[in-house]
Amino acid sequence: MAEVVRALRLYWRLQRAAMRGALQYRLNLVIGIAAGVAYQGSGFAFVWVVMHTFPAVGGWSLREIAFLYGMRLTAHALYVLPFSSLIGLDWLVREGELDRVLLRPLNPLVQIMAKRLGVGQLGDLLAGLVLLVVALPPLGPASILFCLAAVVGGALVEAAVSLALASLALRTWNTLGVRAFADDLFSKFGSYPMSVFGGAAQWALTFVLPVAFVAYVPASVLLDRTGELNVPAPVAYGSPLLGVALFALAYRIWSRQLRHYQSTGT
Amino acid sequence: MIRVESLTKVFRRPHTFSGPLGPLRTLLTRRYDERTAVDGVSFEISAGEIVGYLGPNGAGKSTTVKMLTGILTPTSGLIEVDGRVPWRDREANARAVGVVFGQRSQLWWDLPLIDSLRLVGDLYDVPAARFAGSLRRMCDLLGLDDFLQTPVRQLSLGQRMRGDLAAAMLYDPPILYLDEPTVGLDVMAKQAVREFIAETNRLGRTTVVLTTHDLADVEALCERIILIDKGRVLYDGGIDDLVTAYAPPRRLVVELADDETRTFEIAAGRPIPELIAQVAAEHPIRDLSIREPDLEGVITRIYAESER
Ligand SMILES: Nc1ncnc2c1ncn2[C@@H]1O[C@H](COP(=O)(O)OP(=O)(O)O)[C@@H](O)[C@H]1O
Ligand SMILES: [Mg+2]
Repeated sequence: MAEVVRALRLYWRLQRAAMRGALQYRLNLVIGIAAGVAYQGSGFAFVWVVMHTFPAVGGWSLREIAFLYGMRLTAHALYVLPFSSLIGLDWLVREGELDRVLLRPLNPLVQIMAKRLGVGQLGDLLAGLVLLVVALPPLGPASILFCLAAVVGGALVEAAVSLALASLALRTWNTLGVRAFADDLFSKFGSYPMSVFGGAAQWALTFVLPVAFVAYVPASVLLDRTGELNVPAPVAYGSPLLGVALFALAYRIWSRQLRHYQSTGT
Repeated sequence: MIRVESLTKVFRRPHTFSGPLGPLRTLLTRRYDERTAVDGVSFEISAGEIVGYLGPNGAGKSTTVKMLTGILTPTSGLIEVDGRVPWRDREANARAVGVVFGQRSQLWWDLPLIDSLRLVGDLYDVPAARFAGSLRRMCDLLGLDDFLQTPVRQLSLGQRMRGDLAAAMLYDPPILYLDEPTVGLDVMAKQAVREFIAETNRLGRTTVVLTTHDLADVEALCERIILIDKGRVLYDGGIDDLVTAYAPPRRLVVELADDETRTFEIAAGRPIPELIAQVAAEHPIRDLSIREPDLEGVITRIYAESER
């Protein structure tokens, strides 16, 4: 426990130092935030178009889809916000930057996470939360708790996939492409009722890449639609735990691969 | 304090093919390129020693240091630092060692030096009162006051190196690893670094492993050197013993009338006057001197012998 408190404290100190460093390049920061806002705007426009073009996708009402979309967007933002520096892992490894991290008495993943905060995702987070609240079905307190757990669980599912793939960068594999591809699958397919994709695709998006568990499965629980899922209802109810389990597994893979880190020649 | 036995590191990388289909072939063939950087190295270092780890470029010095710090996992062999296995117990090991890589700063590039030092203090859980004392001492020893508030990226190489030394010793680790700390520095800065190392070792009985290919560092600081080449230990022992054991012949250096300089080896047991007489008979001598074997000569000779 004391270890966790220490890690959190140091995470915050390092994160603040990273932000102070980033402030040295004000123009970059401004451009980054502007790009984030613009991107978010286009995302909203996209949802709006989709919702008006297909008011009822796969038998789901507009409001239900907005709720699903909100869950997935919130989960995604919650994953990117702390893990945005994983994107640069290939580079960190190739440049031998990881040497510095491994010299310090603090968990390497915490140090890497502290290199950057995905402030560009604050827009996503806000948008997701607004959608969630606006489209929230009438829920009891237990269901609200489930909803919160599910959003965190969804973030952990995405984080787990990202971390497991990023671990391969420690073996000097080029992982950027495959990670971008996985991210793309999550954002393209994560916010739709999967029943519209049909058997094989739905199966793959559930059991091969667990896209369905980020939002579709828990949203079905909250919207009382577990009947149409391709997993049994108890599994659907346990979906927030899946995020925790997958992340624990990904963390093990990461720790293993860390031993294979080869540093650089110069 | 430090025990290393049959330490070996083999780097293994996927073989890269050239040509347009290169990346694909790399992925499909699973062929690997192997390079043995450290090859069965053994040594022991006791508390308070300053040991020079000496070798030409590519000898395996940095790779050894990276294994000692736990950055790299050995391919085989054993390392124990203060009873710990660095790669397995990386964080505990990190608290006990200070590390400086001459080629790569450990400081936060975009922040003032003082911020880096504060962060190091945080990371190593140095209590505020002790931090203030340590910082004062480092500033005095290394003359940091003038550039404490300067962003690291604006520091000169010599200033940056002093900052790195401070960061490495701020938490009083009993062991200090220095990987080519004087590389690229001017004479003054080199001198400052050497004085700091000597002082640290004298005051705190810090154990120092100093990697270098600059003999002057070694001559100024170390009583013992470990000489390596191609990942193997060629010599481990005192510098004085090294010079006697491998003593190359003394040399007679003569300057001839036409400004030419010639050197003659003085064969063991041959009377020097006799040699001088012989040389004088053949050449018009303007000046002459006898050169004692120096460390550089000895080491050049050891490398030459190991090539055969
Ligand atoms: N990360 C690495 N991957 C592959 N080869 C490496 C790596 N690091 C070092 N080498 C190789 O191992 C040998 C020893 O390197 P190094 O330990 O850096 O030598 P030194 O520090 O004595 O100059 C060199 O041939 C170098 O090219
Ligand atoms: Mg080196």
